[in-house]
Amino acid sequence: MNLTELLDQTASRWPRKPALIEGEIILSYAGLVQKIAELAAQLQLLQMKPCCRVGLCLPNSINYVALTFALWRVNAVVVPIPTECTEEESSNIAEAMRLDAIIGQKPHGQSVRLSADLFFTKLSPTSPPENHGLNVAFIRFTSGTTSARKGVVLSHETIRDRVLASNKFLRIGPDDTVMWCLPMSHHFLVTIVLYLSVGATIVLARHVLARPFLEAVNRWRGTVLYAAPFHYALLARDNSDAKISSVRLAVSTTCSLPQDVAENFHQRFGLRLTPALGVIELGLVCVNDNPAARADSVGRPQPDYAVHIRNPDSDGYGEIVFAGPGFFDAYDNPWTPREQLMPDGWFATGDIGRVDAQGYLFLAGRKVAVINLAGRKVFPEEIETVLNRHPDVRESRVFGATHPHLGETVEAEIVLNAPDAGLDSVRAFCREQLASYKIPTRFTVVNALPRTPVTGKIRRATAVA
Amino acid sequence: MIEAQEIETKLLDFLKREVFAPEVAVIPETDLVASGFDSMSLVRLLLFIETDYGFWIPESEITGDALKNVRALANTIARLLNAR
Repeated sequence: MNLTELLDQTASRWPRKPALIEGEIILSYAGLVQKIAELAAQLQLLQMKPCCRVGLCLPNSINYVALTFALWRVNAVVVPIPTECTEEESSNIAEAMRLDAIIGQKPHGQSVRLSADLFFTKLSPTSPPENHGLNVAFIRFTSGTTSARKGVVLSHETIRDRVLASNKFLRIGPDDTVMWCLPMSHHFLVTIVLYLSVGATIVLARHVLARPFLEAVNRWRGTVLYAAPFHYALLARDNSDAKISSVRLAVSTTCSLPQDVAENFHQRFGLRLTPALGVIELGLVCVNDNPAARADSVGRPQPDYAVHIRNPDSDGYGEIVFAGPGFFDAYDNPWTPREQLMPDGWFATGDIGRVDAQGYLFLAGRKVAVINLAGRKVFPEEIETVLNRHPDVRESRVFGATHPHLGETVEAEIVLNAPDAGLDSVRAFCREQLASYKIPTRFTVVNALPRTPVTGKIRRATAVA
Repeated sequence: MIEAQEIETKLLDFLKREVFAPEVAVIPETDLVASGFDSMSLVRLLLFIETDYGFWIPESEITGDALKNVRALANTIARLLNAR
């Protein structure tokens, strides 16, 4: 099975229907399939091995979508590399995922030019990757904690299963027009692949601002919004009289939806936001079908999924585990198959929460430390590893500080080797090594870090207000 | 009274250093969105202003006019700061 078949079926059914709209370019399904075929022919000339892994480092664009499908057509594995990554971070991904090539907007050394601003750069992984007989389509690299940075491996069949399952509640179809604003390098499967497999139209909105976004919704008669609370907060504060009467569904994802954002958005547009929970290993497992009654819940499991709270305390809070179709196939490097990680069929998310009598799930924190900055996940250990490599830094602790508009921001406490060493060089070092959103907003120099009494490990801070 | 000029200089420095790739030439007339300013850039910008000037730009002020270029943005910040 190959995911391009889903698109081919849509294209043969609705060849003239717009698949993607970018600026003034309207690309039909037939046009998209044609573009994919042309790119696949170019890729074939490069004599790539089957199952080779290709990093894709591009901003949202028709090219991004077409290249992903073209790579699938030639049986390559797509590994997204977010465009905000520094050179250092990109080469870490390339090395950890043993990439055979990278496609991006910049040439490197012996790059082959695919089009005006698209370059194919061949790499030489030290040890070739092994897919253990799986029909791998996609690997999402997640930096996680330093010990746990890994690739989440998904086969064509897995992605098809989760795409089908995720649409049981969303019911996106050929009459829908989806207004797209999230980065494709972080969101692609139960979104872009889903929309294209059901014949919907995707409008790539290049806005960071409310006004042009609302204009685009009305120009293209958008029916579905899929965005982070940060985007909805911007829209809710728009003080024009623009309405979005064509929109039937506005899904809020990437982090929990602040109540004031939900309320302000409802007041401004008369439409309730639909909170949802997506997990890269699992798919879109929960959607809130009744946000008016339970605004602070991520909802109930979608029809094919089940949720369970493991080891609940007396108030019902415990670790959230899920079962369902289309869960990840393996982690890579080291390769660890799903069966080994969830022998009983349940996947432990690392989130803490409770389920109420009607089956609605409420999140209450994480077992693993992660900072959520406006929907982007930042792992403290990753930042600490960079900070600790700086010669002036003896040790460091990174944590999330509660922020009224962004959820959390990244802050760092640092113990310096010499008291008069400044922080300027530490900041500059971070800028070289880390994507800008991961760089701590505030650094505090301290004499010592708090440690746990028994193990002597640095005590992990919880979010501070 | 904070001058827009002073804010503009700081903004240019911040944008060059932390938002745009080194090959992007950032001048006061640079069209931010056309140069690749995205929603994560906006988050960084809002945090920078909050840290350096001590206030959060209200979402209703984040308009196409305010983000047209660095100069317009500096003027907006100056207006908001001086009205406080």
